Amino acid sequence: MDEIKEGIEQIECDVLVIGGGTAGPMAALKAKRKNPKANVILLDKANVKRSGAISMGMDGLNNSVIPGYATPEQYTKEITIANDGICDQAAVYRYAEECYGIIQELDSFGIRFQKDNNGEYDVKKVHHIGTYVLPMPNGDTVKKALYRQLRKSRINIVNRYMATRLLTSGDRVAGAICVNTRSAEFLVVKAKAVIMCLGAAGRLGLPTSGYLYGTYENAANSGEGYAMAYHAGAALANLECYQINPLIKDYNGPACAYVAGPLGGYTTNAGGDRFIECDYWSGQMMQEFYDELQSGNGPVFLKLNHLAEETISEIERILHIVERPTRGHFHEGRGTDYRKQMIEMHISEIGFCSGHSASGVYVDENARTTIKGLYAAGDMANVPHNYMLGAFTNGAIAGEDAIDYAADVDFAAFDEADILAEKTRVLAPTRRDDGVPPNQIEYKTRRLVNDYLQPPKVTAKMELAQQRLAEVRDDMNNAMYVSNAHELMRSLEAASILDCADMAAHASLYRTESRWGLYHNRVDYERNDKDWFCHTLLTKGKNNSPTSRKEAVKPYIVDIADDEKDAYNHQRVTAAE
Amino acid sequence: MNNLFEDFNDIEMLAEDLQSTDAGERIMAVIELTDTADPEVIPHLATAIRDQDINVRKQAAIALTDFDGVSTAAALVGALSDEHAEVRQAAAVSLTELKDPDAGDAIIPSLGVDDEFVLVSCLAGIKELRRADAMGPAIEALKHHSASVRCEAVNVIGWLQDKTSLPALRSAAGDNDALVRRAALTALGFNKSDHAEQILVAALTDSDWQVREAAAETLTKSGSAGCVPSLIKLLEDEYWQVRLKAVRTLGKLDARDAATLIGEQMTVPVPNLRKECAAALGVLAVSDTAKFLEPYYDDNDPDVRKNVRWALEKIAHTA
Amino acid sequence: MPLAQSSTSVPVVVNDDLCIADKGCTVCVEVCPLDVLRITDMADGRKTAHMEYDECWYCMPCEADCPTGAVKVNLPYLLK
Ligand SMILES: Cc1cc2nc3c(=O)[nH]c(=O)nc-3n(C[C@H](O)[C@H](O)[C@H](O)COP(=O)(O)OP(=O)(O)OC[C@H]3O[C@@H](n4cnc5c(N)ncnc54)[C@H](O)[C@@H]3O)c2cc1C
Ligand code: SF4
Ligand code: SF4
Repeated sequence: MDEIKEGIEQIECDVLVIGGGTAGPMAALKAKRKNPKANVILLDKANVKRSGAISMGMDGLNNSVIPGYATPEQYTKEITIANDGICDQAAVYRYAEECYGIIQELDSFGIRFQKDNNGEYDVKKVHHIGTYVLPMPNGDTVKKALYRQLRKSRINIVNRYMATRLLTSGDRVAGAICVNTRSAEFLVVKAKAVIMCLGAAGRLGLPTSGYLYGTYENAANSGEGYAMAYHAGAALANLECYQINPLIKDYNGPACAYVAGPLGGYTTNAGGDRFIECDYWSGQMMQEFYDELQSGNGPVFLKLNHLAEETISEIERILHIVERPTRGHFHEGRGTDYRKQMIEMHISEIGFCSGHSASGVYVDENARTTIKGLYAAGDMANVPHNYMLGAFTNGAIAGEDAIDYAADVDFAAFDEADILAEKTRVLAPTRRDDGVPPNQIEYKTRRLVNDYLQPPKVTAKMELAQQRLAEVRDDMNNAMYVSNAHELMRSLEAASILDCADMAAHASLYRTESRWGLYHNRVDYERNDKDWFCHTLLTKGKNNSPTSRKEAVKPYIVDIADDEKDAYNHQRVTAAE
Repeated sequence: MNNLFEDFNDIEMLAEDLQSTDAGERIMAVIELTDTADPEVIPHLATAIRDQDINVRKQAAIALTDFDGVSTAAALVGALSDEHAEVRQAAAVSLTELKDPDAGDAIIPSLGVDDEFVLVSCLAGIKELRRADAMGPAIEALKHHSASVRCEAVNVIGWLQDKTSLPALRSAAGDNDALVRRAALTALGFNKSDHAEQILVAALTDSDWQVREAAAETLTKSGSAGCVPSLIKLLEDEYWQVRLKAVRTLGKLDARDAATLIGEQMTVPVPNLRKECAAALGVLAVSDTAKFLEPYYDDNDPDVRKNVRWALEKIAHTA
Repeated sequence: MPLAQSSTSVPVVVNDDLCIADKGCTVCVEVCPLDVLRITDMADGRKTAHMEYDECWYCMPCEADCPTGAVKVNLPYLLK
């Protein structure tokens, strides 16, 4: 295994779904069910059985809109406010209307949501006036249940092929180029429609542990989705609104808000005092968190040791069994017991992810990108605060729209020279006798991201980042060396990471104001609604480097009153409590 | 590149591998049979779950999670008596994943056994299948000496939502085990009768705080104005978790008499509780309670703030 | 630039007495999202799974899905 073989094969399908994590399986299932005669291919760089953010399960839906507990209007309002108003509401509203149907469908697949003792949904109140959190007691079976449905529907699954570039023809998508991660063989998939579900860009910043794979996101999600969309000419929105999360330090897994919050756990400083009241993840909350870390009161901790024993055992059960099951080992190794010690927290490395922010490939309420026949769903599409249920729901929307689109069109012709060019690019590091291995290219890129791009953002630092990243790009293009197919996969990931870093720098420099709390805190600029109450759209410019423009926020369909708009401002505890 | 697409071997060929003398090969056969996702493999897995090797049996028990129906259930029920705990555990988990009500045919007969583990697992398995004929055995199981059994039995009864079960739930609500009492109280939520309410109100003074919390919470779902005085007393409970549920229920029941007492809870330094109080005060909209809310117009917690502002607006509107 | 090898301690350990890679098992190799496990030949001619690349997200499918309980996931040294 891992020997470089270099074959090339070409196949065709009606709909190609790239990424079989969360959104992807749902997109493939819905497409196939709507047109059982169609040829639907689901392709993943890992193995669909256990790939993506939910590979080992989840502890609950963060944002379910269930009749009787919340309304689509209410939800749309909350999300608009949480995003500082920069939000096209149509997609959020559509999600809110359709997600309950998806919950019921997931339930019929055998994915179980917490029900009360009469068998009715047991929604927990966590944020806002509405009630949105639905725990999943057997969350560890999600991926298994999905996979079973894929097998039953006879979806064609292709594992261990990594998509590297999209093929286009004018303003239409024509397919994708993929490379086998264990043999370097090429696969060209001609497709009438392509749905991208490649997840977040999780390997953009470097975690404080220094371990390249110790990221918050599934480390297989290295940003190819963003890079492919960019190179194909699609627009990407608001990339300057990074994802940064409060996490358990070093372990880098989620800590608190949804699980421990409702049960009475909270975030404190070293003195055991609360400094933020609300643990709901937002840019404003992250700013307070950051300020506390930097202050003499830091570091920051998760405090549970004041809770009743019954409550603590419940928290342990939820946190250690599903989602990140190694968390129990971690605390054991450190000798931390929730009953006795507080748990040190930190902020995560930066990434791109709409799950917790507002950035991503620009899509409308049908999950369509700015390229015909090309769709995006899940963490990489810019429908804000989508999380897991958003990935499922928007994946479903994309699948149903794409299969209809594919029924009406023929294959788009593409230029064979594009394939040749991609082959040359991909294989270049195999043509050298020595050079810089991909892990060093990646480490340096990510270290520069930490040094110069993570907030607080400073103009001069970001300009330095652009210079230094250009030097790394030069090395990558001219001196990167790999010795086998596995390393070749890592070299392609390094290229995506570098593309994402360039996009992060460009987008952050373009928006000359501060917004979204810490996510886009540009210390040399104030917030400026007059000039910047808009999306920023990044595309590939003429000289093959990013260019940005403004795009108006679409008129709201749900109005927001003035005194509701500051809902996420000033979260610091001021009163002596 | 001949195997581009995920594909699986022929079922009969794989089934032959189950006859291999090597346990490792039999495990691999179980895994590959499962991956076909074809119900035809169920009989083969049912054989494998009785294999002489523990790992083969365990793998078969895990594999059956992917299937449904009466023969799957029968194989799993059999494995609940396996000599190895790991196999028993895996079978118990798989049992709870069944969805097809017909699968219950294989479980119902075992609801009469005495073995604690088998009974707990079978009750947990039958619960979501909502089989009316599980009611009798579940009520019978309430007499079992094991509290875990009684708990699961109560859950089965609650899911059936049948008012003839009220006497049984009443006695379970008086169980000497707190977990059973909690389960029984939450199970009562489907029934809006005086009878059910009396049981819940009585539990508001239980010695265990989580039982009191469960009773107060269930009253949000099913309580009537009659339980207001008892809920008001609960506002003095030493646990904020209990008070929080009482506040929520009082709001839902439109207990305007309670508004001042709820307002006084606003000073408690637990934002979870403040949030709930503000929401309840908004629902009740009693004009002289605005004074309790005003100091929190700019509360640091956005949720509290939001609820406070909304509540003040409601109160102003009503006045 | 010429290359050098440097050692690293890997977080995932396989008990080769329990591993049935000999019988064609590749379950852990297949489920790993980072594709860092491989099957290798041992001195006595048998096969076993092992961690080939130190690029682990400590996510556990390899341990959870191994049919013989041969895999143990520890936390990578740098963050434990
Ligand atoms: C630790 C953690 C905890 C979370 N907890 C919760 C929670 O409790 N509740 C909640 O609602 N949400 C939660 N989320 C968020 C939620 O899991 C995600 O929003 C959602 O799963 C994203 O789905 P996706 O399909 O976009 O991405 P993923 O599920 O990550 O799928 C992306 C897929 O793309 C594949 N891929 C990547 N690159 C390529 C390539 N080049 N070619 C082919 N395939 C590729 C990957 O292998 C992967 O299978 C959590 C996320 C994390 C990381
Ligand atoms: S899954 Fe277990 S038995 Fe199979 S190859 Fe891996 S370690 Fe060996
Ligand atoms: S823990 Fe996860 S990343 Fe590490 S080897 Fe196992 S499956 Fe792979």
